[in-house]
Amino acid sequence: MKTRVPCRPVPQLIEGLLWFAISFLLGTSIVSGDEPASLRTIGEEYAREVRPLIRQFCLDCHSIENPEGGLNLNQFATLTEVRRAPRVWVKIVEMLASGEMPPRDSQQPSDSEKKQLLDWIERYLRAETLASAGDPGIVVLRRLTNAEYTYTIRDLTGVDLNPVRKFPANSAAGEGFTNTGGALVMSPALLQKYFGAGEEIAAHAVLLPNGFRFSPHATQQDWTNEILAEIREFYKEFVEGEKLGSFQSNLPYHLGQAGRLPLEKYFSATLAERSAITNGTKTIETVARQYGLNTKYLGILWSSLSGSRPSLILDKLRSCWQCAEPEDADALAADVAAWQKGLWTFGPVGLYGKKGAPARWMQPVNPLVTREDIHFRIEIPTTPDNEKKEEFAVSLVVTDAGDGNDQDFVVFQQPRLVSKEQPDILLRDLPDSGLDPIMFGRHPNSQAIDADSLCVRAPSVIKFRLPTKLAADLVFVTTAVLEKETGSEGSVQVLPVTHRVDDTPSVRSGLLTCEVTTKFSKVGVLVAGRDRDVSRRGAILVSETSTASRRIEAAMDEYRSIFPAALCYTQIVPVDEILTMTLFHREDDHLARLMLDDAQKSRLDRLWEELHYVSQSPLKRLDAMELVLEVLAGNEAADFRARYNLFKPMRAPLQKLTAEFREELVDDEPGQIDALIDFAGRACRRPLTQVQASSLRGLYHRLRSQELPHDEAFRLTLARVFVASPFLYRFENAPAGTDTAQVSDWELASRLSYFLWSSIPDEELRTAAQTGRLTHSHARDSNPDSSNPPTAFGDESDAELLRQTKRMLSDARVRRLATEFACQWIHTYDFGSLGRKSETLFPDFARLRGDMHEESILFFTDLFRHDGSLLSLLDANHTFVNERLAKFYGIQGVNGATWCRVDGMRNHGRGGILGLAVTLAKHSGASRTSPILRGNWVSEVLLGEKLPRPPKNVPQLATTVPEGLTERQLIEQHSSNAACAKCHSRIDPFGFALENFDTVGRWRDKSDSGLVINSQTTLPDGTQIQGLSGLREYLLKKHRDTFVYQFCRKLLGYAIGREVRFSDRPLLAKMQHRLKKNNYRFSIAVETIVLSEQFRRIRENSYDR
Amino acid sequence: MTHHFARRTFLRGTGVSMALPWMESLSVWGDQTTKPASQAPVRLAVLFSGNGFTNNEWTARGEGQQMELGQVLTPLTEFREKLLFIRGLYNVEAQQGGIHSAQTGNLLTGARLASGGDIRSGTSFDQIVAQRYGYSTKVPSLVLGCERSNPGIHKDYSMVYSSHISWSSPTAPTPLEIYPALAFDQLFKDDVQRGKQSVLDAVLTEAHGFRNKISSTDQRKLDEYLNSVHEVEKRIELAGRNGELQGWRPTLEKPNVPRPPEGIPQEITEHMRLMCDILVLAFQTDTTRVCTLKLNNDHSALQFPHLDVEIGHHELSHRNNTKWLKVNQFMVEQFGYIARRLDAIQEGERTALDNSMLMYCSSMMTGGHDATELPVVLLGGAGGQLQGGRVLDYLGKPNRKMCSLYLSMLDKQGIHLKQFGDSTRRLSEV
Repeated sequence: MKTRVPCRPVPQLIEGLLWFAISFLLGTSIVSGDEPASLRTIGEEYAREVRPLIRQFCLDCHSIENPEGGLNLNQFATLTEVRRAPRVWVKIVEMLASGEMPPRDSQQPSDSEKKQLLDWIERYLRAETLASAGDPGIVVLRRLTNAEYTYTIRDLTGVDLNPVRKFPANSAAGEGFTNTGGALVMSPALLQKYFGAGEEIAAHAVLLPNGFRFSPHATQQDWTNEILAEIREFYKEFVEGEKLGSFQSNLPYHLGQAGRLPLEKYFSATLAERSAITNGTKTIETVARQYGLNTKYLGILWSSLSGSRPSLILDKLRSCWQCAEPEDADALAADVAAWQKGLWTFGPVGLYGKKGAPARWMQPVNPLVTREDIHFRIEIPTTPDNEKKEEFAVSLVVTDAGDGNDQDFVVFQQPRLVSKEQPDILLRDLPDSGLDPIMFGRHPNSQAIDADSLCVRAPSVIKFRLPTKLAADLVFVTTAVLEKETGSEGSVQVLPVTHRVDDTPSVRSGLLTCEVTTKFSKVGVLVAGRDRDVSRRGAILVSETSTASRRIEAAMDEYRSIFPAALCYTQIVPVDEILTMTLFHREDDHLARLMLDDAQKSRLDRLWEELHYVSQSPLKRLDAMELVLEVLAGNEAADFRARYNLFKPMRAPLQKLTAEFREELVDDEPGQIDALIDFAGRACRRPLTQVQASSLRGLYHRLRSQELPHDEAFRLTLARVFVASPFLYRFENAPAGTDTAQVSDWELASRLSYFLWSSIPDEELRTAAQTGRLTHSHARDSNPDSSNPPTAFGDESDAELLRQTKRMLSDARVRRLATEFACQWIHTYDFGSLGRKSETLFPDFARLRGDMHEESILFFTDLFRHDGSLLSLLDANHTFVNERLAKFYGIQGVNGATWCRVDGMRNHGRGGILGLAVTLAKHSGASRTSPILRGNWVSEVLLGEKLPRPPKNVPQLATTVPEGLTERQLIEQHSSNAACAKCHSRIDPFGFALENFDTVGRWRDKSDSGLVINSQTTLPDGTQIQGLSGLREYLLKKHRDTFVYQFCRKLLGYAIGREVRFSDRPLLAKMQHRLKKNNYRFSIAVETIVLSEQFRRIRENSYDR
Repeated sequence: MTHHFARRTFLRGTGVSMALPWMESLSVWGDQTTKPASQAPVRLAVLFSGNGFTNNEWTARGEGQQMELGQVLTPLTEFREKLLFIRGLYNVEAQQGGIHSAQTGNLLTGARLASGGDIRSGTSFDQIVAQRYGYSTKVPSLVLGCERSNPGIHKDYSMVYSSHISWSSPTAPTPLEIYPALAFDQLFKDDVQRGKQSVLDAVLTEAHGFRNKISSTDQRKLDEYLNSVHEVEKRIELAGRNGELQGWRPTLEKPNVPRPPEGIPQEITEHMRLMCDILVLAFQTDTTRVCTLKLNNDHSALQFPHLDVEIGHHELSHRNNTKWLKVNQFMVEQFGYIARRLDAIQEGERTALDNSMLMYCSSMMTGGHDATELPVVLLGGAGGQLQGGRVLDYLGKPNRKMCSLYLSMLDKQGIHLKQFGDSTRRLSEV
């Protein structure tokens, strides 16, 4: 059995000292009745007892002439000098207690002398601790770390720009974190980089009519596309059909295939919920929400369908709807679609503004005619058995157009059969037609009309027979008009059909669907096509200016207002002409009217305004115009002349528009500078002073006076914000005085936001700071009695600070606390990108390291956000994995790249930070595990032990493990040397317990060479443990306080940006005490820090306490 | 405008100047070299690699052509006659912390390093040269590296010490440029964008306004900023005034190679080669006369797949094997490469190598952290002031401080100091 060093290990002793102070502060002093000695008594003791001992045993080597190890104990003439360097005395305790000093070959103090010395130092340190408790300390001015800079820019601009990618990496100081001022240096080269980054960020600013915003992109074209995409995305929520048919496909209707009103689902919902809405069990809003429909339109549709006011076109739809089932929704929609074909027409908009070009993309069209020329190409009807009959029949079906047959007298002028081969045959003269000749030349009221014409009253069918052999290439021709006298208020529809002789087509009641076809001529390279050629089928025949025609038109208007064929022009950028002079076409009035609320309308208006502003479309259109005119003017051909004249009228209005736009741009400049000043205030975490604001304005004007255009001057002025010292540095005002002072609201807000979010305060925290709620009525004694720290949770500002802290801890941005604090604490900060292992042995590692890192971030973020217990850092049974990492851990049932929480990690031999792949892999070699590194990590990082540095010329280790040895055996061999064993016995056993995890943190039962892994080990204090779970239990049971203390210490150091000092010990003791009482919840640690003097106060500029 | 100008003059002239070390150099730039104006200036380069070298292979015996070099140094065989091998030097303060960062952060300063979360070293001797002669050239000094620095604290010393040997001031480690393209830009990009000067003026004035509201420690920190802004302004002013102050003309006026591609090269060989080329180009064009190139960090994680070495540099340093030797030689080859290229540049009767003083060193002899004897090699003639082909052995002698060597080297730069770091004596043999 090895002999153990007979003295207490140093860290435990320090811990003991510390605990002494802690327990005292908490009123649970382990030495009952022990009052803190006054510094005066201690001073007297020093002169009387201590100084002589030091003179006797130490000064030989540690004097001013011969300060071995850099230590001059001569300087401590009295307690005043002692108090200037309390840390030296901690070191002295270490040296004395460990027996390292005085050296063995020197004169040794007796046990009682040694005790006297140690007791005095202990009393002194305790008094020192209390005397300086709560001292904010010296916090070196902090520049933003690369991470803080990145997050700050992200939160300020709303875009992810990664401006620091070429910055030098940050170093650490204080408690080992990059956010410590001492590590954050500035240099000309770095300043240049900040300038470059500032300019780069400024290049992403998009100027807007009343300010600016930031974009992920930096070119006008990209910004324009961004807004276009946003508008299209906006439209997409309401409409169906995205692809606009090309004009050149010559399928005109396709022009209207985009931006459709998605009627099917609306019909479907109204049908499914018809009774629920009717009997009031559901509201329109409920149904809309349930089916994901637009409430406004659903309401409009509902009242149209359920309404009772007679409507010529709607009535039929209503009656169908009344008895339809949900599955009939498509049929109803098809019916509406058929009508839409007759009531709307689409045209190209690319040349909007050109003489004769359509004003709108989608235009209403009424299928009303006062005279209908019928050219009916007769086709012989086929019979079911395909047999040729001798003859067949042609009928003219005349309907009353759905509004009754009042005055529906229609005249068919000289109906005749026309063919190329023969002369026309008047219908009246057609032999064996089956028509009564008496019908010709006679009004049904017996008055005479033209002898060859027919007059009938709707509804009616004019049927005549035709021999099949006659029928080839025959066209039935007539012109239908309403009879002048008796039909002036009539309305009919005429439908010619062919059929078998025995049949008689029925006259359908109601209005037949009309159809309108629009044709466009082809568009040439430089010209627009001719006017559109519109043809109709099933048009309604009326008399000019009749009441009937107005009534029908009104009905069509009503129908159109409910069922526009398209809600908006989703294409926006016209592609319907080869040459377009319209950059963007906006046509969304139907959408706005039927579906949008006021907020949506104004958002859409804003987007459109931005689109024109950002793209500077007026300027571009004028340029295009000038170019076209130039080309046309340069050609003498008459054709070009004509086209020139066609385009020329567009120029003047465009010039006017452009001039106005230019004026607008200039008018907007001051507003943009105002916005920049607001922005600068946010960037610098406090409102700008008058001087700062006028300096910014001054710079802008100076740049303008150097003939920089507005855009460039604006961007440089913006870049200046990012190079400015109040942006790059976290300035805090040090008031005059010798004590400490409360920091301002703005400073406190920044301390809080950079602590929890590594970034600027958000709107809510700014408001709290603005209104002084973070510090006001904070009636703290300006010279607080240090032995009586302020009671927490007392006043209003405490409550506000706590409220903000809680709110911020539950925010997603607390992930940054996980990456910046937790990952630095466990030494895995860069591992996700820079961790390296042998590629030959671990080819998958490079792909996994990012996942391993992410797992730890998610684990910490979850703990912080959901206020977990600090003990779960060690004993959590859950973690977060994606499929790749789950496979690596041997966990079943996790699929895909999405991260999810899994429980039962202890069954996999893991749980908590000890079992994270990232910590196990980080503290390994490249090709084999390193129990030394892992053990050292447990000892230094988790337990805060300070181990001496390795001796000179440590023996070399083999690269690969020699045959027949495990890594553990290799290390044991290495450490068996007595000089090495002294330290290695304190660290290696922790690492041996983790030997079941290989170099990259994968579970293993056997080493690479097939030897069984032994994870049983004896810890420095003699405890025997087995594996990770044994280590976990050991840490939780025997070192819980040390572990929690170490965590608190690191969190405090991170929060206040400096190394933890003596004067912080009472605060740390309080943190631990409160944690113990509150289930070790993370928020308790944070809140105690936030409410502390250290966090809320600053040393005054001549501090001397 | 008048008002603005007056304020600038004021700032430059008085207000800020108290805090600005460059003021010392303002009075002297350009005209205090000890050389006649027609002679080429002495260029200084310091190369560093971390974690020491193979046991017993950093050695040299004999003189001139007959010199026998240990295996690590074989890449320098061709330069034996221009090589000065110095054995036995050490840094007293490096014995304090005694491991990695604690013996690297003061390698070129000789200062005591602050521990326990503080950061403080001294001004390194390369930066002394840069601050003295900085404005004779477009760029005062070039500080390059091939590996990102590490965060964290190791054995009570910030890792900032592991990754920085060049210090502009005791609290300001000079940031290393690790992007070849940006290093190239530092040298050759003339940043004369309109308005930039006005922006710098504005931030300078503003920062000055803050200065008296903050604590004195914060003021010292802010001075780093003021200092930097001012120096950037100065560089903009000096842009294009290259060489006006000297009678001597460099052999190359503009870079004869294209700007390196953006980003950090995938291959470490490529990365180091580019950095070496930039160093040579900087000297050849006389864009700067001081360059520190850190091939890797102490505690480095660099891997060398091209040498079939997959283990990180630091881990490898603890295993004294042939792979370790290969990596050592690869590092020294970079030094040889620079020497070879400089030796091919004829500057009058001498080569650029003869006019330079190149130093290669590490902060420990072997991977075992031994800093009682540091590996040091000098190459080049320092303009006829340095005699090569020699081995100097100081082991066991009373005056064997690194800082004594620096005092001697500073002498050859025409900077005669009474004291540097922990030394007041020179190495007369050098």
